[in-house]
Amino acid sequence: MSNYPTPAGSSALAERGVSRQYLTFTLGGELFAMPIEQIREIIEFAGMTEIPLMPAFLRGVINMRGAVVPVIDLAVRFGRERTEIARRTCIVIIEVEQEGQMLLLGVLVDAVNEVLTVEPGQVEQRPAFGARIRAEFIEGMINLDQRFVIALDIRLVLSVEELATLIGVAAEAGAVTAE
Amino acid sequence: MDMDMARDALVQEARELLAAMENALLEIEAEGASPEAINAIFRAAHTIKGSAGLFAFDRIVSFTHIAESMLDRVRNGTLPLDQPLMALLLECSDYIAELVDAIEARREDIEPDPERRARLEDALNALLGEPKAQVATVRQAAPEPAGQVEVESGESVSSDNWHLSLRFSQDVLRHGMDPMSFLRYLGTLGRIVHIVTLPDAMPAADEFDAESCYLGFEIDFASEVDRQTIEGVFEFVREDSDIRILPPHGKVAEYISLIGALPEPAGRLGEILVKGGALTSGELETVLARQAAEPVPAKPIGTLLVEQEMVPQAVVAAALTKQKQGEEKRAQEQKFIKVEVNKLDALIDLVGELVIAGAATNLLARKQKDPQFEEVSQALSTLVEQIRDAALTLRMVPIGEVFQRFPRVVRDISRELGKEIQLVVTGADTELDKSMVEKLSDPLMHIVRNAMDHGIESTAARVDAGKPAGGTLRLNAYHESGSIVIEVSDDGKGLDRERILKKGIERGLVQPDQILSDSEVFRLIFEAGFSTAETVTNLSGRGVGMDVVKKNIESLRGEVEILSRAGQGTTVRIRLPLTLAIIDGFQVMVGESTFVIPLELVIECVDVGGHDTRHNIVKLRGEPLPFLRLRELFDLPPADGVRESLVVVQYGQHRAGVVVDRLMGEFQAVIKPLGQLFNQVRGISGSTILGDGRVALILDVPNLIQRASRAQAALAWHGQATTTPEQTGGN
Repeated sequence: MSNYPTPAGSSALAERGVSRQYLTFTLGGELFAMPIEQIREIIEFAGMTEIPLMPAFLRGVINMRGAVVPVIDLAVRFGRERTEIARRTCIVIIEVEQEGQMLLLGVLVDAVNEVLTVEPGQVEQRPAFGARIRAEFIEGMINLDQRFVIALDIRLVLSVEELATLIGVAAEAGAVTAE
Repeated sequence: MDMDMARDALVQEARELLAAMENALLEIEAEGASPEAINAIFRAAHTIKGSAGLFAFDRIVSFTHIAESMLDRVRNGTLPLDQPLMALLLECSDYIAELVDAIEARREDIEPDPERRARLEDALNALLGEPKAQVATVRQAAPEPAGQVEVESGESVSSDNWHLSLRFSQDVLRHGMDPMSFLRYLGTLGRIVHIVTLPDAMPAADEFDAESCYLGFEIDFASEVDRQTIEGVFEFVREDSDIRILPPHGKVAEYISLIGALPEPAGRLGEILVKGGALTSGELETVLARQAAEPVPAKPIGTLLVEQEMVPQAVVAAALTKQKQGEEKRAQEQKFIKVEVNKLDALIDLVGELVIAGAATNLLARKQKDPQFEEVSQALSTLVEQIRDAALTLRMVPIGEVFQRFPRVVRDISRELGKEIQLVVTGADTELDKSMVEKLSDPLMHIVRNAMDHGIESTAARVDAGKPAGGTLRLNAYHESGSIVIEVSDDGKGLDRERILKKGIERGLVQPDQILSDSEVFRLIFEAGFSTAETVTNLSGRGVGMDVVKKNIESLRGEVEILSRAGQGTTVRIRLPLTLAIIDGFQVMVGESTFVIPLELVIECVDVGGHDTRHNIVKLRGEPLPFLRLRELFDLPPADGVRESLVVVQYGQHRAGVVVDRLMGEFQAVIKPLGQLFNQVRGISGSTILGDGRVALILDVPNLIQRASRAQAALAWHGQATTTPEQTGGN
């Protein structure tokens, strides 16, 4: 994935004109990035509690110092194979806003890499196709020495409303078959 | 202070005062007017006005001001407190509540209902005998014309000037306020015609404290502004200073009370008043003569009586008793402190953490097998348990907080419906968690409306049926085995079983030949859109349906049940857990997953092996019991060779069994809500954290029982199983 033609019009990021920091991480062998503002912390995977009758992207819940935090398998959310737990598996704890309330969500990733400082000029608009994940999940493409990294739009990837709807559908179906 | 916080405090205070006002009004309506009740109303209106004035919420100030003037007349006995006036006062308190709502919503600049306001103000002004619309508009748009304010009743004096008597509190300088600045500001609003400084309160030189203010002032003031504006000048010192303002052409009676209330000797004050032109010497004579003849009229609460040598003995005695009562009341008030809910929640959270950490320590102690360690950790757990219980009681409030709205509601609705309904409240001091109180209010309101509208018959129908003409509605609350039970009962006609059943069949909720118990039939009314009402009245037409009531109660982990007997009445019984924060839990395992069942709902545990368990019905001591397997319900991986156990749970009247692999025992579970993501998940009510830090899910027992019974009913319906599982064929 290199040398995407840059469509006319600059991305929302470039307009800001300030550098921004991103955390890069791997998921199914591919490198992704997300802005660090919403990241609360990164913890090593140390088991979790599965919740019955949940869709595959919801892997379970963990206890983070007394708060019960749901864990989302990002790979499944992107329509890929579920993430296998390995030595470097991490959970990135992200704070998302939902109807004025802050909500903690964990995101399961294969490994976290580094924090990048990205200049506005390094970010290009998302391609219309070809990224193999839903276009709206992509905030932009970070240009790293002719190599492109997808910067995720966490707000949409972890849209509480959408996730809750999917969970509701799964729970409903589960309840029907169980009876 | 943070403005938002101050605003919230104002809103809360105003609501409490309005509730007090409404209570007093209803008390007057029921038991006749008493000076205490009238004073309570006046005080509430006055305090609301004062607090709103501090924030310059002019809409509320100007409205309350008129109401207050009218209340003042009532207090003086110049206006009789009759039925229409009561209705007007109730409506005024409603409108003030609307204005308070607007403040809460940060929309204090918009009049919530200008038409209603104009109508109320007209009615008030008509009683006050004031020209329409003069005071009706907001914020000084029409200043009260000087001289017309309170002229209508009583003799008045001839002076064209306002008379102000100021006795600043000794602490006024310490509070950072300079009396001179008030006078200077007053000077900008008009002309100070005459001023006398009163150094009477000044102590001897060696007792003199340079930081105290000892001066009083008598001022005659010529100005066109209204009373409110002049009062506004002294807004910041009004609380603890003695500020009296008499309008131009004030009543003789007011001067009498003024002279009586001020600390200085009457003769001296009289001279000052004459010198300043407030009174002519003739007028002064009348005033003094009358004052000698009659006792000083009742004073507003809060002004301390200091003029003991001035007034007749009887009045002093009465005043002293009153003062003492006030002190006792204050002492009582100090038994409570107001705490922000957030702080309380933070404390409960911490206690929750403590409980979890305690459980972890216990676990470790047992593993270490060190008797001393175990002993210490045991002692610690006992303390933690006590702290938990104490912390939880902090959030408990009497259910009376919810019930107190209903006297008014019942009064209003019974008038609207033209029915005679009496409300009987019992168990108002039964306590429950504060967070539930707020969510309980709406469902209860709906049930009460329903009972009054559909339950209790019209007076004629009641008389025909040989019942007392007036219906009775009861609100009752009590504790029962770890739950709080709230009942709304009426002595009306009861639910029409046949009609509900017919409607249920029509809507396909029930099969025509299905046999249902009464409670199952009655439960149908909780189905969405279910209504058997022949006529939709404006009461049942507005608001939520019974399905929403049920949903609200269930979201509090509660249950609603209906008991009804034709011709005798209906009782709606709501059962709620006492707290939403921490429970005693019973831990069970299925495969590798741990689940928690609230201990108070567990009846017993039985080994499944010896029982016949076909078709989700087990025969326990001769009684059939529906059950379900958690493994099947939650689609967990199968396991071989486990010896399953049956946990028998009960909720309300219903029982069911839950089959699990292993029983792990009791522990204290701190309930952690699963959050919005899991709103629609059924069968699980929340989660908790185990001693080893893992998260365990809490089973939603009422939901499980319902499913087990429904599965059983479905089976019965298919005709393959009747009452005993033995008779069933293969399925």
